[in-house]
Amino acid sequence: MSETFFPISDLLRRKRQTTSIILTIAMSVASAVALLLFCEKAGFGFSPRESLLTRGLSAILSQFSIYVGVVVFALGAVVTSFVAFLMMTQRTKDVGLMKAIGCPTGLVGGYLMTELLLTTVIGCAVGTVSGIVVDYAFSFIGGFEVLQRPANYWLCLLVFVVFFALALVFGTKPILSAARLSPIKAISSINYFGTNVPKNVQTLSGRWLTWKVAYRTIVRRQSATLRIVVLLSAVFFLLTLAIAGGTIASGTTVSWVETTIDENIVAVANSKMAEQYTLLMAKFSGVVQEEDFDYLDEKLGVSNATIQQISSVPGVVIVESRLITYEQIRELRNFTIDPETLATVPVGDSRETKSIIIGIDQYAGGAKWSLRGRMLDLNDSSEAIIGDSIAHIMYSPIPAKRIVFSDPLVQGVEIRGKAFQIVGVCVDPVDNGHVVYLPIQKLKEMTNTDRPNIVFVQIDQSADMNSTIELLRGKLNAIDSNLGVVKPADLNGKNAEFLQATWSRVMVLPFFALVGATLCLIGYMTTAIEEQKQEFAVMRAIGGKTKLVTRILAFQSSTVLFSGFGIGISLGTVVTISVLMPNPVVTSGAILEIAAWLLSALVGMFLFTLPPARSIAKSSILRGLV
Amino acid sequence: MESPMAVSAIGLQKSYDLAEGKIEVLRNVNMDVGSGEFICICGASGSGKTTLLNLISGLDKPTNGRIIVLGEDLTGKDENFLSDLRCYRVGFVFQSYNLLSTLTVAENIAFPMEWQRVAPRQIGDRIAQLLESVGMQQRANHFPSQLSGGEQQRVAFARALANDPPLLLADEPTGNLDEKNCERIFDILKMLKAEGKTVITSTHDAQLLELADRIHYLRDGRLTSQNE
Repeated sequence: MSETFFPISDLLRRKRQTTSIILTIAMSVASAVALLLFCEKAGFGFSPRESLLTRGLSAILSQFSIYVGVVVFALGAVVTSFVAFLMMTQRTKDVGLMKAIGCPTGLVGGYLMTELLLTTVIGCAVGTVSGIVVDYAFSFIGGFEVLQRPANYWLCLLVFVVFFALALVFGTKPILSAARLSPIKAISSINYFGTNVPKNVQTLSGRWLTWKVAYRTIVRRQSATLRIVVLLSAVFFLLTLAIAGGTIASGTTVSWVETTIDENIVAVANSKMAEQYTLLMAKFSGVVQEEDFDYLDEKLGVSNATIQQISSVPGVVIVESRLITYEQIRELRNFTIDPETLATVPVGDSRETKSIIIGIDQYAGGAKWSLRGRMLDLNDSSEAIIGDSIAHIMYSPIPAKRIVFSDPLVQGVEIRGKAFQIVGVCVDPVDNGHVVYLPIQKLKEMTNTDRPNIVFVQIDQSADMNSTIELLRGKLNAIDSNLGVVKPADLNGKNAEFLQATWSRVMVLPFFALVGATLCLIGYMTTAIEEQKQEFAVMRAIGGKTKLVTRILAFQSSTVLFSGFGIGISLGTVVTISVLMPNPVVTSGAILEIAAWLLSALVGMFLFTLPPARSIAKSSILRGLV
Repeated sequence: MESPMAVSAIGLQKSYDLAEGKIEVLRNVNMDVGSGEFICICGASGSGKTTLLNLISGLDKPTNGRIIVLGEDLTGKDENFLSDLRCYRVGFVFQSYNLLSTLTVAENIAFPMEWQRVAPRQIGDRIAQLLESVGMQQRANHFPSQLSGGEQQRVAFARALANDPPLLLADEPTGNLDEKNCERIFDILKMLKAEGKTVITSTHDAQLLELADRIHYLRDGRLTSQNE
């Protein structure tokens, strides 16, 4: 049999182990491929594409995706290393026998390397295809049509190559160790590869012998135990980061979007303007607006008479006029003193872009955002609030262009030759954050417009919303049949759902790693059971019951599982807290949700280790004694 | 059903279905062992000695026939019942010792007593007594890997006797040992005989045969006694 076909037939003979190893690698690769494809299509992180969501939210999601991605790749290295170690552990006796009958070390190493390469190539291929399938599913499930863009499949090749390289780097050492093992050590059950003879083992107590057996077996297999604890720690670290970080960040950002408009507000405008406003809101979820729109068209104006009629509708509390336009804007540079050199240094530059400008009535108090900075001053008409996308596009430092310092809150914005001091940066889904808010009176003066083109109507919370809207529609129809009513909260609700769904997609990917880690844990337990098979049979032969064996194995699996859980959760919590966005919204519901997910993962993994334990506990005693 | 015999085997048959055909290991074996008797079972390798001891201890189940051990008919008994039987009433000594490698000598002996919820002090006293009787007092805290084959077998005897079972089964207890260690095992078995324990052992050892009240031979799966 040739050097290549021997390992192939050997892998085929050990179908269950081979399948488990391939699936484990595939899970890591699939999560990495799906994450990268999703981020690339959504325009997050490294992607050159225009991002979904506002730039501020996109930056938070990008940062989160990068953290998750780095941990997924690191976990891939740990998983590959563990899988290689497990493969070698399962083959140690065979290695000993091969060497005992004269097979040279080089040839043994060749066999094992071929096995590793085959399983890795197949695992990476299966993982890549699975990742593409997951990405495809992400695009078509739950209204993510915007992600049905062509994917950049070079990223799949990149992941394949990286994981293959990781397998070579981290898999070679266990192979070399196995190939170099002396035959007598490999054959000996005491000096089993990956196990160590206990030295200075501390007894736990005078009794509790069942636990002593379990504990000492874990200590004896310290090499394998340490590796599985590291792997489980990495998985729970990833899960904590994904679930805790994701849940809190998702809750926080969704609340930012939700607070931009109250539930009891409706917008009244010319039907074309209402349609345009709907489009502006929908750009948050990737809807592209193609045609030019003349916001200052006189036909779009809402007359004072109409506003008065609206005010007279029972249930209407506040009517706030707004004027929306689309203008060229320019960044205004400022200067500051460098505290070290005392030299005058510029802050910002004179970058330009086009943006939606919305004039608002500061006195009406209808505008509410999650804000860095403050609201517009009631007595100052030269202040502006900008959306986070404008802040990222026009007010970010670009060292390559010698823009070292830039901060919108110490700079200004110029619109139609008028300078405005920026007092706040808001998260606003309108035009996906490409928006500037000004006092409406000032905007009217600048544009020579005397009428607003949209009116926000606040309805009394105690009034019936639907009947008030019907009354409003009836009245508007009587005035002008072209006037329409839209509910901004409904449009915003869709945006919040979209944002939630985007977070969910990134958060779900680490569960692939969880499946991979569960397979590794099962592999660890299966190997442990194989090594202890004879001892379990002896225990049962001298009168031990089946539950004794189950108890010992449950102790072993729960020890490694809880160790990994404790380490992973602690590290994950520290990192999550340190990288989380400022002022996170942490509700008791979110904490319960996070705890429930993490505990479910722990319990689920534990339950998966029980079937092999039950199986060995119920197997024939005589078969184990052989 | 109560039986005056320590062990009764009635029409015992054990066969294995293999791809190459059926292999009959035991054929219509009938045997009665009285309480306090010392029985030796002899036979060539593969004659079914170990299978017979496995059936008596409840480790294996017969294809046909019945086994009554210490008054208990093992037919149809569940795994828990058989575990209790082996723990409290039947001691088993394996040819390959089968000590638990993760436990020390003292802990190996204590292991079957642990499940009986014996008080720790009583366990300690019993361990000391058993170690003395097998001459292993100095080795109480050693692991099995630190013992010779003969020493491991002596510990295996001590473990089998931990719960003071009335019946002891020993599968070729001197099969892997040198002459000096064989003598030590002989002394232990002699002591057990003097104590009135029922002992059934498979052996080729002529010295052990001297202890036997009766010797049975297994040939082609059939059991014959010394006189036959």
